[in-house]
Amino acid sequence: MSKTALEGLRVLDLTQVWAGPTCTKILGDLGAEVIKIESGRRMDISRGGIKANSGAGLYPDGDPGDEPWNTSGLYTDRNRSKISACLDLTHPKGVEVLKKLVAESDVVIESFRSGVMERFGLSYEDLKLIRKDIIMVSLASQGGSGPERSYGSFGATLEQTAGIASFTGYLGGDPRTSGTFLPDPMVAFLAIGIVLSAIEQRRTTGKGTYIDLSQREVTTGIVGEMVMDYTMNDRKWEPNGNRDSVFVPQGVYKCSGEDSWIAISIRTDDEWNLFSEILNFSLEEKQNSSTAELRFAQHDELDRLITQWTQDKDAHNVMHDLQAVGIPAGVSLKGDQILADEHLNDREFWEEIDHPMVGRRPFLSRPFKFSKHPGSTRSHAPLLGAHTEYVLRSIAGLSDDEITELSDLGITSNDPTKFQTAL
Amino acid sequence: MSLLDKPFSEDLPLNSVKVLDISQGVAGPYAAKLLGGMGADVISVEPPVYGDYARLAPPFFEDDPHVEKSGLFLYLNTDKRSITLDLSSEQGQSIIKPLIEWADIIIENYAPDTLENWGLGYKDIEAISAKTTLVSITGFGQSGPYKNYQDTNLISLALGGLLQITGDADKEPLKVGGRPAEYIAGLSAFSGAMIALYAQRASGEGQHVDVSMVEAIATAQMYSGLNYAYLGVNRVRANDIAPMYPVSNGHVGVMYRQENWDDFCEMIDHPEMKTDERFIDNVARRENIDELNQIVAEWMLKQDKTELYHRAQGQRMPFGYICDAEDLFSSEQYDHRGYFVEIDHPVCGPLLYPGHSFFWSGEKLPMGRAPLLGEHSESIYEALDFSKKQLSDLKEKGVI
Repeated sequence: MSKTALEGLRVLDLTQVWAGPTCTKILGDLGAEVIKIESGRRMDISRGGIKANSGAGLYPDGDPGDEPWNTSGLYTDRNRSKISACLDLTHPKGVEVLKKLVAESDVVIESFRSGVMERFGLSYEDLKLIRKDIIMVSLASQGGSGPERSYGSFGATLEQTAGIASFTGYLGGDPRTSGTFLPDPMVAFLAIGIVLSAIEQRRTTGKGTYIDLSQREVTTGIVGEMVMDYTMNDRKWEPNGNRDSVFVPQGVYKCSGEDSWIAISIRTDDEWNLFSEILNFSLEEKQNSSTAELRFAQHDELDRLITQWTQDKDAHNVMHDLQAVGIPAGVSLKGDQILADEHLNDREFWEEIDHPMVGRRPFLSRPFKFSKHPGSTRSHAPLLGAHTEYVLRSIAGLSDDEITELSDLGITSNDPTKFQTAL
Repeated sequence: MSLLDKPFSEDLPLNSVKVLDISQGVAGPYAAKLLGGMGADVISVEPPVYGDYARLAPPFFEDDPHVEKSGLFLYLNTDKRSITLDLSSEQGQSIIKPLIEWADIIIENYAPDTLENWGLGYKDIEAISAKTTLVSITGFGQSGPYKNYQDTNLISLALGGLLQITGDADKEPLKVGGRPAEYIAGLSAFSGAMIALYAQRASGEGQHVDVSMVEAIATAQMYSGLNYAYLGVNRVRANDIAPMYPVSNGHVGVMYRQENWDDFCEMIDHPEMKTDERFIDNVARRENIDELNQIVAEWMLKQDKTELYHRAQGQRMPFGYICDAEDLFSSEQYDHRGYFVEIDHPVCGPLLYPGHSFFWSGEKLPMGRAPLLGEHSESIYEALDFSKKQLSDLKEKGVI
């Protein structure tokens, strides 16, 4: 198959940070043409700013180089398979050019604070005048309406405000967040399907769409049963460590080696029979733990006995031995281990591509594989404004003179150090 | 228009899409629910007698275990029709064929090779209906050395690398609450199905989409592998991303950002901290986080969670406050957007459910209740030309 899955789809990407860029990078991997609009004045936060230590930096071997904004790993992973054009939207001429690009695009995705696109004169109503069947997707933190519409958030704070953190935590302990920004990829993985649903609707009706999505609401969407328990039974969930409401015992147990752990879930009495045999339980101990109810009642003690068995064993050996008899067990993989994992590598989960300033690094692939249109990391993340001229000439249809004028006005500048406001 | 089609009363984005949901549990049904919520016609095929195993999972309405009272099932199966059919039987495998032909998308989550053994693998489906896409969701995917390993939500979090970075450094790694691996795989399956549909509309051909829960988590957590790939060190667990502090009536999370630092110091009545070298930038604050936490924690204890949240957001500080279910229902923001929707159900009555997370051209798309077990068997099998006599025979044999 030479054709890509999303051939012919052109996406204007006005998003930044994590959720939006992850959505568009996957669209790009699968063949959509993704044009990322940034400017020297307002770079994607993931680029890490003009100084090297603004917190977003995941620089290659810790070295930001002369242009840190082009080397941050957070940017390079989330923005591969795209092209980058610089356009200052705070200038009316920048907006004018953007409108020319809208006329040539199927989809516009943005993640500004709610209200910013209107101020640029780029609301859905404005875009519709340029292209009747345009599809516009806004990925605002709280959506485009309501008293909190202009509030900001990050994935970690969304875990807090959407309900997940309230019952994530150690038994009887305080709330915790995931340690990453889980709502962002969730929004991204949902938004891909939403964009393509709008495309399917356009195919059958000829109509465009405006989608106003709330990242917080998407996040609550993955804890539906927690909400249902409240509406059905007035019950509020609390942190329960690594335990489950059905699988018992379930836990994360110490293994040999530094910070080395194995996760084990016992789903059925049969699995427990097998496991208690492996744990060398006596007949009496087995009888005393033969049902889920009995096991829930002595979960602490079972955890202690399981740890006694795992603590001097290699986590991978425990996993393979338990899985060999059909017991769900998995090593809590560290960063280096997940890069080296034999299963993920056999499935070519990691992709590599050369980047002129970052070198050759592994990239996360995608959460799905396609038998006929596999997709891939098609190109390295663009240097800031690397494709400005191409986009202006070939897509917006500007003349040489017009391009020169924009450049002279600084609207297409790709040098963030020229803008005092850039941080 | 096939006799099988559900008559639509409204124009919805995916009215043109037909989905056969032969999955159970969380991930597959969630993907099918999302498609159904956008207007796709979804027929869910459940095993006879007990149905989808999520029907047996808590929480139950009034804590009464019953196939029509699982909150998990009710939430995950809105906007679907339900028929019962035993796919492990030869007759079931033949009865499903016209439904395969009908479907644009089939979603399944059986163990790898199960469908092949039933003569319903992707190759068989392709032979029956070239346009149809099969979306398979499993723990480890359709290939690779761990393909036949057993998986649960927790195991996916472990092998996807998320578990290791959640929790505290001096304790065991911690799972994120709920069933994040299953739900994130469900979101992925929804998008995977739509990508395949886009390609199908151009080529006429369906394909096999392979979703792995472990890979869904590995992609979502992102940090741990990349951290090592770029910096050569493993990320350590810590409550340091938007750390949470106890306040008088709950917890509040603070996202420390340079641009907010001066305002933050003013707010907590420690203006002298603005120039304190220990906290001067992100790097310094991370190094001296214990000292910072001590100062901040003391001030926090007297605060009210929502008052502080709104006050901080008013100054463009992206704080969070820890919401439990009750807080979500008292959120003015959720209320304003009508996030929770009331859905009536013949057994459980009217209840509030989490609704759509978006407006579609200014409207909330409708959301219809989950089906009773086999609620639509009669009408759908009639549309497939089964006589009443045939149906009662099949029922007797336990096929439907």
